[in-house]
Amino acid sequence: MKELVKFIAQALVDHPDQVQVLEVEGEQTSVIELKVAKEDLGKVIGKQGRTARAMRTILSAASTKIRKRAVLEILE
Amino acid sequence: MEFQEFEGKSTEEAIESACAHFQVPSEQLEIEIVSVGSPGLFGLGSRKAKIRAALREDGEIGESTLAQGREILQEFLEKMHEPGRVTAEQEDDRIVLRIETEDPGVLIGKQGQTLDALQYLVTKILSKKTRKKIRITLDVEAYRARHNDALTQMALKYGEKVKRSGKAVTLSPMNPYDRRIIHLALQGDKDLKTMSRGEGLYKKVVISPARKRESQEESAASG
Repeated sequence: MKELVKFIAQALVDHPDQVQVLEVEGEQTSVIELKVAKEDLGKVIGKQGRTARAMRTILSAASTKIRKRAVLEILE
Repeated sequence: MEFQEFEGKSTEEAIESACAHFQVPSEQLEIEIVSVGSPGLFGLGSRKAKIRAALREDGEIGESTLAQGREILQEFLEKMHEPGRVTAEQEDDRIVLRIETEDPGVLIGKQGQTLDALQYLVTKILSKKTRKKIRITLDVEAYRARHNDALTQMALKYGEKVKRSGKAVTLSPMNPYDRRIIHLALQGDKDLKTMSRGEGLYKKVVISPARKRESQEESAASG
Protein backbone atom coordinates (compact mmCIF):
# COMPACT_ATOMS: atom_id res chain seq x y z
CA MET A 1 0.00 0.00 0.00
CA LYS A 2 2.87 2.28 0.89
CA GLU A 3 4.39 1.78 -2.54
CA LEU A 4 1.09 2.63 -4.21
CA VAL A 5 0.72 5.94 -2.39
CA LYS A 6 4.35 6.80 -3.04
CA PHE A 7 3.96 6.07 -6.75
CA ILE A 8 0.88 8.28 -7.09
CA ALA A 9 2.26 11.14 -5.00
CA GLN A 10 5.62 11.22 -6.75
CA ALA A 11 3.93 11.33 -10.13
CA LEU A 12 1.79 14.32 -9.12
CA VAL A 13 4.25 16.64 -7.39
CA ASP A 14 7.01 18.96 -8.55
CA HIS A 15 9.48 17.67 -5.96
CA PRO A 16 9.25 13.86 -6.01
CA ASP A 17 12.42 13.57 -3.93
CA GLN A 18 10.63 15.22 -1.02
CA VAL A 19 7.78 12.72 -0.92
CA GLN A 20 7.80 10.70 2.28
CA VAL A 21 5.40 7.87 3.01
CA LEU A 22 5.13 6.14 6.35
CA GLU A 23 2.93 3.18 7.10
CA VAL A 24 1.71 2.73 10.65
CA GLU A 25 0.30 -0.77 10.90
CA GLY A 26 -2.51 -1.54 13.24
CA GLU A 27 -4.35 -4.78 13.76
CA GLN A 28 -7.15 -4.16 11.29
CA THR A 29 -6.31 -0.77 9.95
CA SER A 30 -3.10 0.67 8.74
CA VAL A 31 -2.58 4.38 8.51
CA ILE A 32 -0.52 5.66 5.63
CA GLU A 33 1.01 9.04 6.25
CA LEU A 34 1.97 11.12 3.26
CA LYS A 35 4.27 14.08 3.51
CA VAL A 36 5.20 16.30 0.59
CA ALA A 37 6.98 19.60 0.03
CA LYS A 38 4.95 22.58 1.19
CA GLU A 39 4.47 23.87 -2.36
CA ASP A 40 3.18 20.47 -3.44
CA LEU A 41 0.49 20.13 -0.80
CA GLY A 42 -2.16 21.51 -3.12
CA LYS A 43 -1.18 19.03 -5.83
CA VAL A 44 -1.90 15.98 -3.69
CA ILE A 45 -5.09 17.46 -2.28
CA GLY A 46 -6.52 18.93 -5.46
CA LYS A 47 -9.46 21.18 -6.12
CA GLN A 48 -11.99 20.64 -3.34
CA GLY A 49 -9.98 17.64 -2.21
CA ARG A 50 -10.64 15.75 -5.42
CA THR A 51 -7.15 14.30 -5.78
CA ALA A 52 -7.00 13.25 -2.13
CA ARG A 53 -10.39 11.63 -2.48
CA ALA A 54 -9.35 9.77 -5.63
CA MET A 55 -6.26 8.45 -3.83
CA ARG A 56 -8.38 7.28 -0.91
CA THR A 57 -10.81 5.51 -3.26
CA ILE A 58 -7.95 3.69 -4.99
CA LEU A 59 -6.41 2.83 -1.65
CA SER A 60 -9.55 1.29 -0.26
CA ALA A 61 -10.12 -0.68 -3.47
CA ALA A 62 -6.59 -2.05 -3.32
CA SER A 63 -6.87 -2.91 0.36
CA THR A 64 -10.11 -4.90 0.15
CA LYS A 65 -8.19 -7.85 -1.25
CA ILE A 66 -5.82 -8.09 1.67
CA ARG A 67 -8.77 -7.59 4.01
CA LYS A 68 -7.19 -4.73 5.82
CA ARG A 69 -8.43 -1.18 5.85
CA ALA A 70 -5.96 1.48 4.82
CA VAL A 71 -6.43 5.10 5.72
CA LEU A 72 -4.58 7.92 4.02
CA GLU A 73 -3.47 10.88 6.09
CA ILE A 74 -1.90 13.84 4.37
CA LEU A 75 0.43 15.60 6.80
CA GLU A 76 1.03 19.31 6.66
CA MET B 1 4.12 27.47 -27.91
CA GLU B 2 5.06 31.11 -27.92
CA PHE B 3 4.00 33.22 -24.99
CA GLN B 4 3.32 36.91 -25.28
CA GLU B 5 2.64 39.39 -22.52
CA PHE B 6 -0.53 41.42 -22.21
CA GLU B 7 -1.50 44.17 -19.81
CA GLY B 8 -4.75 45.61 -18.61
CA LYS B 9 -6.34 47.33 -15.65
CA SER B 10 -7.46 43.94 -14.40
CA THR B 11 -6.55 40.38 -15.30
CA GLU B 12 -9.89 40.09 -17.10
CA GLU B 13 -9.03 43.04 -19.28
CA ALA B 14 -5.59 41.63 -20.00
CA ILE B 15 -7.16 38.32 -21.00
CA GLU B 16 -9.59 40.17 -23.25
CA SER B 17 -6.80 41.92 -25.06
CA ALA B 18 -5.01 38.58 -25.45
CA CYS B 19 -8.16 37.10 -26.98
CA ALA B 20 -8.41 40.06 -29.33
CA HIS B 21 -4.79 39.63 -30.33
CA PHE B 22 -5.05 35.92 -31.12
CA GLN B 23 -8.65 36.23 -32.33
CA VAL B 24 -9.80 33.20 -30.34
CA PRO B 25 -12.00 32.70 -27.25
CA SER B 26 -10.12 32.48 -23.96
CA GLU B 27 -10.70 28.70 -23.75
CA GLN B 28 -8.21 28.24 -26.56
CA LEU B 29 -5.48 30.13 -24.77
CA GLU B 30 -2.92 28.94 -22.31
CA ILE B 31 -2.87 31.75 -19.74
CA GLU B 32 -0.41 32.47 -16.96
CA ILE B 33 -1.03 35.37 -14.64
CA VAL B 34 2.18 37.28 -14.06
CA SER B 35 0.83 39.92 -11.72
CA VAL B 36 -2.59 40.88 -10.49
CA GLY B 37 -3.15 44.58 -10.95
CA SER B 38 -4.37 46.91 -8.27
CA PRO B 39 -6.67 49.81 -8.96
CA GLY B 40 -4.87 52.14 -6.56
CA LEU B 41 -6.54 55.06 -4.86
CA PHE B 42 -7.78 58.07 -6.83
CA GLY B 43 -5.57 56.99 -9.70
CA LEU B 44 -2.51 56.87 -7.48
CA GLY B 45 -0.38 53.80 -7.06
CA SER B 46 -2.32 51.76 -9.55
CA ARG B 47 -0.56 48.80 -11.10
CA LYS B 48 -1.46 47.11 -14.30
CA ALA B 49 -2.33 43.45 -14.38
CA LYS B 50 0.02 41.42 -16.51
CA ILE B 51 -0.55 38.02 -18.05
CA ARG B 52 1.27 35.73 -20.41
CA ALA B 53 -0.78 33.99 -23.04
CA ALA B 54 -0.19 31.61 -25.92
CA LEU B 55 -2.35 29.63 -28.27
CA ARG B 56 -3.17 26.25 -26.84
CA GLU B 57 -1.82 23.51 -29.05
CA ASP B 58 -4.55 21.10 -29.63
CA GLY B 59 -4.02 17.52 -29.05
CA GLU B 60 -1.79 15.82 -31.51
CA ILE B 61 -1.71 12.63 -29.50
CA GLY B 62 1.43 10.90 -30.63
CA GLU B 63 2.44 7.28 -30.33
CA SER B 64 4.73 8.14 -27.45
CA THR B 65 1.89 9.71 -25.46
CA LEU B 66 -0.22 6.61 -26.00
CA ALA B 67 2.64 4.41 -24.84
CA GLN B 68 3.25 6.64 -21.82
CA GLY B 69 -0.40 6.47 -20.84
CA ARG B 70 -0.36 2.71 -21.08
CA GLU B 71 2.80 2.44 -18.99
CA ILE B 72 1.43 4.68 -16.24
CA LEU B 73 -1.74 2.63 -15.94
CA GLN B 74 0.17 -0.64 -16.10
CA GLU B 75 2.43 0.44 -13.25
CA PHE B 76 -0.60 1.69 -11.32
CA LEU B 77 -2.22 -1.75 -11.56
CA GLU B 78 0.97 -3.49 -10.49
CA LYS B 79 1.22 -1.28 -7.42
CA MET B 80 -2.41 -2.07 -6.63
CA HIS B 81 -1.60 -5.79 -6.97
CA GLU B 82 -4.29 -6.05 -9.63
CA PRO B 83 -2.39 -7.42 -12.59
CA GLY B 84 -4.00 -6.70 -15.93
CA ARG B 85 -3.26 -6.12 -19.57
CA VAL B 86 -3.63 -2.57 -20.83
CA THR B 87 -4.19 -1.55 -24.42
CA ALA B 88 -4.12 2.06 -25.60
CA GLU B 89 -5.87 3.56 -28.55
CA GLN B 90 -6.76 7.01 -29.81
CA GLU B 91 -10.39 7.84 -30.42
CA ASP B 92 -11.10 11.33 -31.71
CA ASP B 93 -9.34 13.71 -29.31
CA ARG B 94 -8.96 11.29 -26.44
CA ILE B 95 -6.96 8.29 -25.37
CA VAL B 96 -8.91 5.18 -24.52
CA LEU B 97 -7.13 2.79 -22.18
CA ARG B 98 -8.71 -0.63 -21.86
CA ILE B 99 -7.90 -3.01 -19.07
CA GLU B 100 -8.22 -6.78 -19.26
CA THR B 101 -8.17 -8.33 -15.83
CA GLU B 102 -9.43 -11.36 -13.98
CA ASP B 103 -11.26 -9.36 -11.38
CA PRO B 104 -12.88 -6.31 -13.00
CA GLY B 105 -15.13 -5.71 -9.99
CA VAL B 106 -12.30 -4.40 -7.84
CA LEU B 107 -11.25 -1.88 -10.48
CA ILE B 108 -14.77 -0.70 -11.22
CA GLY B 109 -15.93 -0.27 -7.64
CA LYS B 110 -19.25 0.91 -6.37
CA GLN B 111 -21.02 2.77 -9.19
CA GLY B 112 -17.73 2.97 -11.06
CA GLN B 113 -16.10 5.02 -8.30
CA THR B 114 -12.75 3.25 -8.44
CA LEU B 115 -12.60 3.40 -12.22
CA ASP B 116 -13.38 7.13 -12.16
CA ALA B 117 -10.72 7.76 -9.52
CA LEU B 118 -8.16 5.81 -11.54
CA GLN B 119 -9.11 7.68 -14.68
CA TYR B 120 -8.78 11.02 -12.93
CA LEU B 121 -5.35 10.23 -11.49
CA VAL B 122 -3.94 8.72 -14.69
CA THR B 123 -5.16 11.79 -16.61
CA LYS B 124 -3.47 14.10 -14.11
CA ILE B 125 -0.21 12.18 -14.15
CA LEU B 126 -0.04 11.97 -17.94
CA SER B 127 -0.95 15.64 -18.37
CA LYS B 128 1.82 16.55 -15.97
CA LYS B 129 4.37 14.35 -17.76
CA THR B 130 3.53 15.62 -21.24
CA ARG B 131 2.62 19.17 -20.18
CA LYS B 132 -0.48 18.95 -22.33
CA LYS B 133 -4.13 18.68 -21.54
CA ILE B 134 -5.08 15.16 -22.41
CA ARG B 135 -8.42 13.45 -22.17
CA ILE B 136 -8.38 9.84 -21.11
CA THR B 137 -11.14 7.29 -20.87
CA LEU B 138 -10.49 4.16 -18.83
CA ASP B 139 -12.55 1.10 -19.43
CA VAL B 140 -12.77 -2.38 -17.99
CA GLU B 141 -14.80 -5.09 -19.69
CA ALA B 142 -16.82 -2.54 -21.66
CA TYR B 143 -18.13 -1.12 -18.37
CA ARG B 144 -18.44 2.36 -19.84
CA ALA B 145 -20.71 1.25 -22.66
CA ARG B 146 -22.91 -0.78 -20.29
CA HIS B 147 -23.02 2.06 -17.78
CA ASN B 148 -23.95 4.61 -20.45
CA ASP B 149 -26.72 2.35 -21.72
CA ALA B 150 -28.07 1.92 -18.20
CA LEU B 151 -28.04 5.69 -17.64
CA THR B 152 -29.81 6.33 -20.94
CA GLN B 153 -32.47 3.76 -20.09
CA MET B 154 -32.95 5.33 -16.68
CA ALA B 155 -33.25 8.80 -18.21
CA LEU B 156 -35.91 7.61 -20.65
CA LYS B 157 -37.81 5.78 -17.94
CA TYR B 158 -37.95 8.83 -15.69
CA GLY B 159 -38.74 10.99 -18.70
CA GLU B 160 -41.87 8.94 -19.32
CA LYS B 161 -42.79 9.16 -15.66
CA VAL B 162 -42.49 12.95 -15.72
CA LYS B 163 -44.69 13.13 -18.80
CA ARG B 164 -47.35 10.93 -17.23
CA SER B 165 -47.44 12.71 -13.90
CA GLY B 166 -46.59 16.22 -15.07
CA LYS B 167 -44.32 16.52 -12.05
CA ALA B 168 -40.58 17.09 -12.00
CA VAL B 169 -38.27 14.30 -10.88
CA THR B 170 -34.90 14.86 -9.22
CA LEU B 171 -32.27 12.18 -9.77
CA SER B 172 -29.54 11.24 -7.31
CA PRO B 173 -26.27 13.21 -7.41
CA MET B 174 -24.04 12.35 -10.36
CA ASN B 175 -20.66 13.33 -11.71
CA PRO B 176 -20.42 15.56 -14.80
CA TYR B 177 -19.94 12.69 -17.28
CA ASP B 178 -23.02 10.88 -16.08
CA ARG B 179 -25.11 14.05 -16.04
CA ARG B 180 -24.08 14.76 -19.60
CA ILE B 181 -25.43 11.38 -20.67
CA ILE B 182 -28.78 12.10 -18.99
CA HIS B 183 -29.03 15.53 -20.62
CA LEU B 184 -28.16 14.07 -24.04
CA ALA B 185 -30.66 11.23 -23.68
CA LEU B 186 -33.55 13.65 -23.18
CA GLN B 187 -32.25 16.49 -25.33
CA GLY B 188 -34.43 15.60 -28.32
CA ASP B 189 -37.63 15.39 -26.29
CA LYS B 190 -39.60 18.62 -26.70
CA ASP B 191 -41.94 17.81 -23.82
CA LEU B 192 -39.15 17.63 -21.26
CA LYS B 193 -36.38 19.82 -20.03
CA THR B 194 -33.40 18.86 -17.92
CA MET B 195 -31.14 20.92 -15.73
CA SER B 196 -28.46 20.35 -13.14
CA ARG B 197 -29.05 21.58 -9.66
CA GLY B 198 -26.63 21.90 -6.76
CA GLU B 199 -23.05 22.86 -6.11
CA GLY B 200 -19.70 21.23 -6.66
CA LEU B 201 -18.73 18.16 -8.59
CA TYR B 202 -21.77 16.07 -7.84
CA LYS B 203 -25.02 17.71 -8.88
CA LYS B 204 -28.54 16.43 -9.26
CA VAL B 205 -30.33 16.39 -12.58
CA VAL B 206 -33.90 17.61 -12.50
CA ILE B 207 -36.18 16.37 -15.25
CA SER B 208 -39.26 18.52 -15.59
CA PRO B 209 -42.07 18.97 -18.08
CA ALA B 210 -41.48 21.78 -20.58
CA ARG B 211 -44.51 23.72 -19.35
CA LYS B 212 -43.70 27.08 -20.84
CA ARG B 213 -43.86 25.89 -24.37
CA GLU B 214 -47.07 24.00 -23.65
CA SER B 215 -48.85 27.00 -22.17
CA GLN B 216 -47.62 29.19 -25.00
CA GLU B 217 -49.08 26.77 -27.49
CA GLU B 218 -52.32 26.63 -25.58
CA SER B 219 -52.66 30.38 -25.46
CA ALA B 220 -51.77 30.53 -29.14
CA ALA B 221 -54.44 27.93 -29.88
CA SER B 222 -57.10 29.65 -27.81
CA GLY B 223 -56.18 33.12 -29.07
